Amino acid sequence: MKKTVFVLHAVLSVVFMAFFSACSRSNFAGEVSVFVWEDYLPESAIVAFEKETGIRVHVLTYNSNESMLSKVKGSPDGTYDIAVPGDYMVKMMTEQGLLEEMKTEQLTNFKNLDLAYLGKYFDPDNKYSIPYMAGGVAIIVNKTRVNEKIVSLNQLFDPKYKDSIVILDDFRINVGAVARSLGYSFNTTNLEELSIISQKMEEWKPNIKLRDSGTPKSAMLSGETTLGLIWTGEIALCIEANSSDFEVVFPQEGFHVFLDNFVLLKGSKNIDNARKFIDFILRPDISAMISAEHPYPNPNKAAQALLPDSFKNNPAANIASDVFARGIYLEDIGSDVSKYDDVWTKFTR
Amino acid sequence: MLFDKTKFTSKTVPLFVMVSPATAWLVLLIAIPLLYIFVISFCSTTESHNIAFSFTLKNYIKLFDRTILSIYWNSLSVSVLTAVFCVLIAYPFAYIMVKTSPLKRTLMMVGLMLPFWTNSLIRLYSWRTLLGRNGYVNDFLIYIGVINEPIEMMFTRSAVVLGMVYTLLPFMVLPIFAVIDKLDKTLIEASKDLGANFIKTFCYVILPLTAPGIFAGVIMVFIPSLGLFFVSDLMGGGNNQIIGNLISRQFKEAFNWPFGATLSIMLIAITIFLVRVYTKKGGKLDELGAV
Repeated sequence: MKKTVFVLHAVLSVVFMAFFSACSRSNFAGEVSVFVWEDYLPESAIVAFEKETGIRVHVLTYNSNESMLSKVKGSPDGTYDIAVPGDYMVKMMTEQGLLEEMKTEQLTNFKNLDLAYLGKYFDPDNKYSIPYMAGGVAIIVNKTRVNEKIVSLNQLFDPKYKDSIVILDDFRINVGAVARSLGYSFNTTNLEELSIISQKMEEWKPNIKLRDSGTPKSAMLSGETTLGLIWTGEIALCIEANSSDFEVVFPQEGFHVFLDNFVLLKGSKNIDNARKFIDFILRPDISAMISAEHPYPNPNKAAQALLPDSFKNNPAANIASDVFARGIYLEDIGSDVSKYDDVWTKFTR
Repeated sequence: MLFDKTKFTSKTVPLFVMVSPATAWLVLLIAIPLLYIFVISFCSTTESHNIAFSFTLKNYIKLFDRTILSIYWNSLSVSVLTAVFCVLIAYPFAYIMVKTSPLKRTLMMVGLMLPFWTNSLIRLYSWRTLLGRNGYVNDFLIYIGVINEPIEMMFTRSAVVLGMVYTLLPFMVLPIFAVIDKLDKTLIEASKDLGANFIKTFCYVILPLTAPGIFAGVIMVFIPSLGLFFVSDLMGGGNNQIIGNLISRQFKEAFNWPFGATLSIMLIAITIFLVRVYTKKGGKLDELGAV
């Protein structure tokens, strides 16, 4: 038996060594490492960039703003060149001195961006950040299995939807949504309100089939769940796959929106390559190509004309501007975040 | 001469050269990080989510919060079930592996180890395809008419235990295989000569002699199963938290490294306690690592 294990180990080591030596042999003109949300930057855009510039792109992924922040803070400077934090996280990272100035005048394609997405509260002069994609969290309904018209968050608490809802694995967004369903602020830090929210979440628990931030659409597409409170981009993909079954609902109580932004990280060793990369992504043709794969609202005005009809006619992808205006941004609430964690720990135990 | 030059060059220098890299490795990559975890477990966090180095016991007090205790309870019960099922499957498997021909034994070993060549996340995802609402198992059961409505198998505690057993089974098989393989056959023959049937021989001879292997396997399955949070995320849909989920969330999302550190220290304490029990009962430490 020892011999078998030994042979297995030997074979494995040879395979690994061959793999890694093959990796190190390739020659590129430079490199840039991009730390981005899981399933958010298509391979096609990266390949196009590598082909055109000869700069190698290392892509590393995360699935929450918070985990991105702890990894950036926990790694030596220069580990990542670019990150894609959401709105409130840009503000936090700026305050903690983790960002390098963007110098938008060096980006030839900056002019392509829609003014409606620039100068938001977290970075009024776009000194540190460039919008990449926007989006929100809305309700997805499987019309074939839900017989009523869904308009409100409160309908998701109905006991008849036992074990049939998929939500994101994100405490701020979910606690915020429950807060809105009770008429409280999405960013409440009031302990009394949070304890009522906690009670309401306890009642909600039997309805929650699963929590998944990465690919919640798979639970909807496979029929595992009939309702969801998930990323609009994931809803758009479901609608694209089957427009007769799925429908998006922007709840009347309001819903969460986000704006993800490119930022340059302090201590970046490849800052020029990083700017080249961001500029490349801002090109209308590249931006339209990304939107075709990742149907999130696109802040790139110049790309609008090039967007495919499937994107333009998808209400979850091309969110109307008056609908988007009802959206609520997350705000950093400092150490009060531990109150949310307590509510969430209770909810998920 | 006070200083024996030959002894210094022939013994001390080689010894120093051999041992110091390992010592440096242990100190740098294990001792210092552990010490850091221990220190920050007594700290608190600042408004901007950094660690404030001021002494506090509040993290340890928080361990006795009812919610936290219930997660510990849930996690321990998942681990106990995992260990029990692993023993029930691994023992007969290892027993047959010892008894069978060398060729079949090699095949069984390959069958056990081969899945490890695939990433465990992918292997766990495949369970979704099998057990999901519209998965193959439900489709088949409906097709043959056993059920009318799909059964909810995924995202339950049973699914978490299944995932754990599936991931950790080899760690139970190998130590049990090792002890059964080393078992003195003459003792079994003696037991038979004295008139004991198989059940009696098994209960009074084989089982007591192979107990150290079972115990070693239990430790190697029980302890990781407290921490494998991705199994509970993928198989339990995040609804059945284990200690590992709690720790990972403190570090990754809640910005509460000190509390995460406290939970980690608790996990280390549980581990040390179990290993102490193991060695007290006559188990050998190298059998835990030498598989």
